[in-house]
Amino acid sequence: MKFRNILLAATIALLPLAAHAEQKLADFKLADRIKAKIDAGKTLDFFVSYHDVSNEFAPFMKAGVERAAKDDKVNAQFIGPVGSDADGQISEIETLMGKMDGLAISSVSTDALAPVIDRVLAAGIPVVTFNTDNPNSKRLAFAGQDLVKSGVEAGKLMAKVLGGKGKVMITTIDAAAQWSLDREKGAREGLSASPDIKIVNTLNTGTDPQKIYSAIENAMLADPSINGILSLECCSTPAAGTWVERNGKTGQVKVVGFDLLDQTVELVGSGNIQATIDQAPEKQGFAAVDLLAKFLKGQPIDNVDTGVGIYTKDNIGEVAKKK
Amino acid sequence: MAETVRTGARAPGIDRLGFARLLRAREAGVFIALLVLCLFLSFATDGFLTSLNLLNVGRQISLLGIMAVGMTFVLISGEVDLSVGSNYALSGLASGMAIIAGFGLIPALALGLAVGAAIGLINGLLSTYGRLPSLIATLGMLSMVRGTALIVTNGQPVTVNLRNGALPDVLAAFTKMGQGYLFGTIPMQLVFFVVVAAIAWFILSYTNFGFRIFAVGGSAKAARVSGISVNTVKIWAFVLMGLLAALAGILGLAFLPSSQAGRTGLGLELDVIAATIVGGASLSGGEGTILGTILGVLIIGVMRNGLVLMGVSPFVQELMIGLVIIIAVGIDKWTSRKAG
Repeated sequence: MKFRNILLAATIALLPLAAHAEQKLADFKLADRIKAKIDAGKTLDFFVSYHDVSNEFAPFMKAGVERAAKDDKVNAQFIGPVGSDADGQISEIETLMGKMDGLAISSVSTDALAPVIDRVLAAGIPVVTFNTDNPNSKRLAFAGQDLVKSGVEAGKLMAKVLGGKGKVMITTIDAAAQWSLDREKGAREGLSASPDIKIVNTLNTGTDPQKIYSAIENAMLADPSINGILSLECCSTPAAGTWVERNGKTGQVKVVGFDLLDQTVELVGSGNIQATIDQAPEKQGFAAVDLLAKFLKGQPIDNVDTGVGIYTKDNIGEVAKKK
Repeated sequence: MAETVRTGARAPGIDRLGFARLLRAREAGVFIALLVLCLFLSFATDGFLTSLNLLNVGRQISLLGIMAVGMTFVLISGEVDLSVGSNYALSGLASGMAIIAGFGLIPALALGLAVGAAIGLINGLLSTYGRLPSLIATLGMLSMVRGTALIVTNGQPVTVNLRNGALPDVLAAFTKMGQGYLFGTIPMQLVFFVVVAAIAWFILSYTNFGFRIFAVGGSAKAARVSGISVNTVKIWAFVLMGLLAALAGILGLAFLPSSQAGRTGLGLELDVIAATIVGGASLSGGEGTILGTILGVLIIGVMRNGLVLMGVSPFVQELMIGLVIIIAVGIDKWTSRKAG
């Protein structure tokens, strides 16, 4: 399964990305049921299916979804599987298809969810993607961080903190996941601008905190000449920073990662993580619902880039204050 | 009284000397496998045979080891516990949340351990008086406990630090428990594992309770006839498992001060069962030793460490771990067939 994902991702990466154009309601064959509802001025029911409602970003996404529902005066329900479970996500959507007036989805797996998305669209229900795009489907638009682009940012940041020279290890909690493959591709691209930087390997750490830490510990012992750790996600970022802190490598081994977990914020403050990239999950949840609402009001919609926030020791104080 | 029970349970034909010889053979098989693995890694990598790496491995296997010791009791009694990964997460979170709510160290630890023991008790009651197969009962609990952890934390990571409200001296003591070193070299987690294993070994080998667990797992019917309360023994095995899963969960949080209900300990139950089985415990009950379990945990830990040191691709690592489980248990079966 994982191997198939990699093959697929490689194939997708080789295909030229189709230029995206604005989508309009006038060009969409809307289900009569939804049309009648709009004409009658009834409140629309949207469903926002996130690929893992038990992860740490889910509450922020959900908050964004609720804010948008209030602003746009629609019902928006936050759904999705506990743990990245493609079958669970598919069957939930199938169950709710009869009563959804719009679907926003972040896919567990691109190839598994694409046919479902197309089926929902074929039933006359508008579908947008958020957080994790599904380029294989015919979704109307995508709201979120461009994963490849955020990877490129991370790669460039790493090159900058290393002064353009060094040995970098890439870490990820799920090397075969679509988001990870996209970010890794970007990170490698961002690093390749500096010819004196060598990427040693990609470390797949698993998701449990102890396993993540142990994997980093083992890998750093296996190759002590590594002086840069580039983490592709939330959770191996603080683990890498913690390893640096506990092994007295502050400043010698540079860490660049993602997101703003409590520990990450602390470790950026103490100089054990040089930079971290935020993905603004609340904005993504908001944009997902907002796109659907706009579309059904007849406004043209297009992809929304929710942006990249870069935090270093200089500006991490802003986050610490907010929390 | 104790003597009567012993005689009674021996009746179904467990030849004590033969039994002991069989156990030795099982452990020997696993030990040889471990030795071969270590020898190979010593030559194949630079980093394996260094004191730093060996202590790292010791620390990395400790939490798994503590839980595998508990699992040994459950498997010997003829049951299985699939809820340990979820228990590990919830108990650790309970202690962590208590600490950041300003509790003292002892009350916070007691809360976590009580949560673990309660989960064990429920598992035990469902699998005995509830007449559910433990596979089903604990599978249900796996989900319920994980769900509870997600509800209690609202899916948010719990980070034990001063800013979130931990008292300074409590945090210092808690940190020491998970990150400290005995004599400046031996990681505290490893110390806990050794102590737990030693106590468990004593209980299993020298106490009436240990004997009853073997009797119950070997033949519940015979044990019942000879006056052993099968249900009570099994419930205690589950409670012990629950306590040890909680201890591991608390130590895990003390080592890395942040835990997230959706990720922590996910799938850990399979690692725990795999290590225990590799160590010679039988899924059908009545067989298993603490020494064997320690060896099983070591094989899995050394394997993971060695594969990373050798730079093996993460996907190949998954395959290799599975292969080791099958080979280790395979060797065990061949040797035991010869012995029998």
